[in-house]
Amino acid sequence: MIATERLLEISGAALEVDDDYEAIDAYVRGKNWTDGLPVVPPTAERVRAMLAYCDRPVDAPVAKIPPRFGEATPLRLAANAVMAGCLPQYFPLVLLAIEALCEERFNLYGIQATTHPCSTLLVVNGPVARELGMNGGHNAFGPGNRANATIGRAVRLAMWNIGGAIPASGDMSTHGAPSKYTYCVAENEAANPWEPLNVEMGFSADTSTVTVYGAEPPHNVNDHESLDGEGLLKMIAGTIAQTGANNIYYAGEPLVVIGPEHAASIAKSGFSKRDVKAFLFEHARVPLGNLSDDNIVRRLKQFEPYLPGLTAEQRDRPVPIIKGEEGVHVIVVGGAGKHSVYIPTFGPTRPVTLPLKLKDGTLAQSVEAFRQG
Amino acid sequence: MAELRKRGLVTAVIYSGPFRKLGETQARIFGVPELPLIEITHPLGGVSIDEVRERAEMAVPVFIDLIRKHQK
Repeated sequence: MIATERLLEISGAALEVDDDYEAIDAYVRGKNWTDGLPVVPPTAERVRAMLAYCDRPVDAPVAKIPPRFGEATPLRLAANAVMAGCLPQYFPLVLLAIEALCEERFNLYGIQATTHPCSTLLVVNGPVARELGMNGGHNAFGPGNRANATIGRAVRLAMWNIGGAIPASGDMSTHGAPSKYTYCVAENEAANPWEPLNVEMGFSADTSTVTVYGAEPPHNVNDHESLDGEGLLKMIAGTIAQTGANNIYYAGEPLVVIGPEHAASIAKSGFSKRDVKAFLFEHARVPLGNLSDDNIVRRLKQFEPYLPGLTAEQRDRPVPIIKGEEGVHVIVVGGAGKHSVYIPTFGPTRPVTLPLKLKDGTLAQSVEAFRQG
Repeated sequence: MAELRKRGLVTAVIYSGPFRKLGETQARIFGVPELPLIEITHPLGGVSIDEVRERAEMAVPVFIDLIRKHQK
């Protein structure tokens, strides 16, 4: 494990503040280092403990975070993870999420700087989600679980402090979203009647992965009445079929998060996950005439790849929200209850899934494999 | 844009009011702090084509001036 003295030397930013909560809080706020909520002071000892779960050089950037393109070194990320309230064991997932978010196809610059209210959703699969006690059940998107809350917040603080996603300068979101504080869940693999997301993305079931989405907050699908899969999927498709989300114009692979009870009913009706996607592609459509005349005139060209020969006069012609049978992700999250959620994305973005690996490229079965010294 | 600027081409970023700070920051980050920023009236979305044309007419003379200065 890195020595504290060496850590202070590398950081070059060590500072002294009175050992008093109010003084530290005032200092952090004065520097604009917080999302508005209180933070855990990133003392050298706490950052050092966080870095005990990192097998990379602490001062070598793993990515650059736009729009500031600040260098995301493990050291800087660890300071943000401490401030967010992470346990050191969470750090490998924070690092992996940052690497996924900074892959070019994700378009983090657009997601950070846009006027759209998207945030950085992390979905964790595999044994590490269970090891860390992550929540994929009741209230998974809400409060109550330290790993969900603080891994998501660590990433958001990194977007803020390293990436410069500061409101009205680096983050131009018109309204923002509560998911810009934290946005992280585990998939409820035990309640998933289909293959979990990590397997669908080409990894083995015992490979831990993080999948990132440039995503809006969840939109609920209430359905207490449908008795079979087709009825439930019709209601989900109806929720997707809206004119206000970016996905009507762009692909962007939106996410359908099916509650376990809905998922069980849909699977019992014989739908595979591929069938679910095909159904949603076919049925989640908006008649062109539901758009305003100005939208039709100005955006018509964007629909042509999916609707060859489309003209502005074809008001009844349905515009697909999901751009192809593989144009949507489907996962299972949640507890008891007859609800699912739909999560539109930024649009010009692609989800990214990365496996949790050690520096030498071998898959990590446990976060303890990262522990140094 | 920054790369084109570094190659010596005439370049400018056209922005509407609230985006000035983002433009200034990005120009600095990409090593071209002197990159000209041309302001047009906000907003650009949700306005008629005539209003879009008015905004273009605000920007064009400034950009032509930049080209002339570059030629000198």
